[in-house]
Amino acid sequence: MTTPSTLDKVADRAARATPDSVARRIGGLSDKAVAWLFIAPTITLLLAINIFPLIWTVYLSFTNYKANRSARGFQWIGTRNYERVLNDSDIWHTLQVTAHFVVWTMSIQVILGFGLAWLLNRQFKGHSFWTTLILLPMMLSPAVVGNFWTFLYQPQIGLFNYVIGFFAGIDASSFEMLGSVTLAPWAIVIVDTWMWTPYLMLICLAGLRSIPDYIYEAAEVDRASAWRQFWSITVPMVLPFLMLAVLFRAIENFKMFDLVVELTSGGPGSVTELASINLKREAFEKWRTGYSSAFAIILFVTVFGAANIYVKALNRVKQR
Amino acid sequence: MSEVRLEGVTKRYTPAASAAVDDVSLTLTDGGFAVLLGPTGAGKTTTLRLVAGLEKADSGRIFIDDRDVTQEAPSTRDVTFVFQQYSLYPHLTVYDNLAFPLRSPARRQSKSEVEKRVTRVAEMLRIPHKLKNKATQLSGGEMQRVAIGRALVRSPSVYLMDEPLSSLDAKLRAELRLELKRIQHDLGATILYVTHDQVEAMTMASRIGVLSEGKLVQFGTPRQIYEDPDSIYVAERLGTPQINLLPVDLLPSGAILPGTARIGARTEHLRIEADGSGVEGRVVRIEHLGDQSHLHLEVAGHALTALADAHTPLAEGAAIRLTLSEPLCFGSDGRRLRA
Ligand SMILES: Nc1ncnc2c1ncn2[C@@H]1O[C@H](COP(=O)(O)OP(=O)(O)O)[C@@H](O)[C@H]1O
Ligand SMILES: [Mg+2]
Repeated sequence: MTTPSTLDKVADRAARATPDSVARRIGGLSDKAVAWLFIAPTITLLLAINIFPLIWTVYLSFTNYKANRSARGFQWIGTRNYERVLNDSDIWHTLQVTAHFVVWTMSIQVILGFGLAWLLNRQFKGHSFWTTLILLPMMLSPAVVGNFWTFLYQPQIGLFNYVIGFFAGIDASSFEMLGSVTLAPWAIVIVDTWMWTPYLMLICLAGLRSIPDYIYEAAEVDRASAWRQFWSITVPMVLPFLMLAVLFRAIENFKMFDLVVELTSGGPGSVTELASINLKREAFEKWRTGYSSAFAIILFVTVFGAANIYVKALNRVKQR
Repeated sequence: MSEVRLEGVTKRYTPAASAAVDDVSLTLTDGGFAVLLGPTGAGKTTTLRLVAGLEKADSGRIFIDDRDVTQEAPSTRDVTFVFQQYSLYPHLTVYDNLAFPLRSPARRQSKSEVEKRVTRVAEMLRIPHKLKNKATQLSGGEMQRVAIGRALVRSPSVYLMDEPLSSLDAKLRAELRLELKRIQHDLGATILYVTHDQVEAMTMASRIGVLSEGKLVQFGTPRQIYEDPDSIYVAERLGTPQINLLPVDLLPSGAILPGTARIGARTEHLRIEADGSGVEGRVVRIEHLGDQSHLHLEVAGHALTALADAHTPLAEGAAIRLTLSEPLCFGSDGRRLRA
């Protein structure tokens, strides 16, 4: 978080880096004032669109405010919203769905991403072509990806159903990925994996490329088997990269909204209703502004706390 | 422990490139200490890498202990390698770096045995207080010591060392030079060693090999290489100050062979006198090195460097007379002429 003292430090540093003549030209202002002048627009924007809404949300979460009835006024109701959120079985269901989504997308993508990176790092002929090709899904808009996967998942004409049907020897139209209560949670995991495995792959590849050849040569001379080289050199040296990628992706997937709305809108029933989809419903369909603010704050604190613990672990890995 | 033998080994990095190592044959006897000398790019590192198995020879054969290892992987050759760049495992501590070669499943050792060896090597290299540091939290000299230590914890057939002492300060370098020599003596280790440092080469080697553009131009004892070089190129590799190359008729000397194009005069071949029968010259400059002095002389328009003791009575600008005794004679192709 940006505290006044770090801002001061930034201003100080900027002031020191400013040539004397600049300060003299803007009559009457000290170097530090000039420096503040330069960073003021950014800080104003940051306050207006990040900090203020956050604080305002915290305030609203303690009221019974409804955004569609703003004329009616609202009262301070203390922590009642929080109590209600934490006792709401729908909320717990939604968190379970989110956890399922985050855990499975991350596990599968780590394994696939690392595996692909490892293969591409072998520098075979045409590896840069394959790298570019694999990166394509990541560059598409989630709306586009969601839309065309709904076609791929079509029981009658969908390619996905056709391929699965062909290889599993079952009727392609006998199952509906997006319509089935058991399959839909996996359908969204598959699409997210298709779209974002390249991201993990890319970062793992950077990690693998950062390991100099001579380390493997030294290990070779030290009689380390390929297996031991993999576990005692490759994995530990890529791990910090991998963990960073997982951090970014897990936070993103905790907030996942667009792709899944496009695919299932949270259905069938609510089996794919992720936290942010539920939140949007509560806030902008049911207009329970205070209640959903409380939920949003709880989510924020959870993600923030988890990310902090994770970053500590990451630093320990890096220091090892 | 082991003998190393190279037979006509040639290595090209790309088919079009000239050979990095060109038809090199040499035998390093069991317990021998061979030093490879040569300017940058002469193929010293490549030779070591070939022996280690990190490069495959294009032709020729390599034997360790009479076993043909030409096609073998590095892990089965039983060698250690101190790389020119330290090549530590950056994510491991100094202790784990040193213990790494001992933890190979092929030669499982008990935990206490590993600890004993690591501690002993760390003490020898004066880094026991750094054992818990990460490899990246070391100075260049400390990294190099860890790299040396990683080679010394094992007892391989052959030690390969690529300029291992180059980034250490003079004092530590002198200490480790003695230490390595002692290890080699105590363990009877066979060592193939690359250096730029003449003192290292002269004091540690039982054999010196001089490389030029991938070719081994001479292989012999330090004494042979110094006193009896095969060519100007070899003569220039050893000796401080460097050997003086003079036209035949500059200084009179009894022992000039027919066909001589240039005379090689080391400082001990020159006799400097205040007066006498020699050719007239002049002291241009004196470099005081503490225990001795370099005299920069000029004789008939030619510059020469000679050695004098620290308290030489000569002063800059002084006139001297120079004679030559039993210098080295070289033909017009730079080859040594022998009587
Ligand atoms: N990996 C490599 N790829 C291509 N050429 C190389 C490689 N390593 C060394 N060479 C070339 O081989 C020759 C010998 O190099 P090297 O053995 O490293 O010399 P030295 O250690 O004596 O300085 C040089 O001309 C160098 O440019
Ligand atoms: Mg080299």
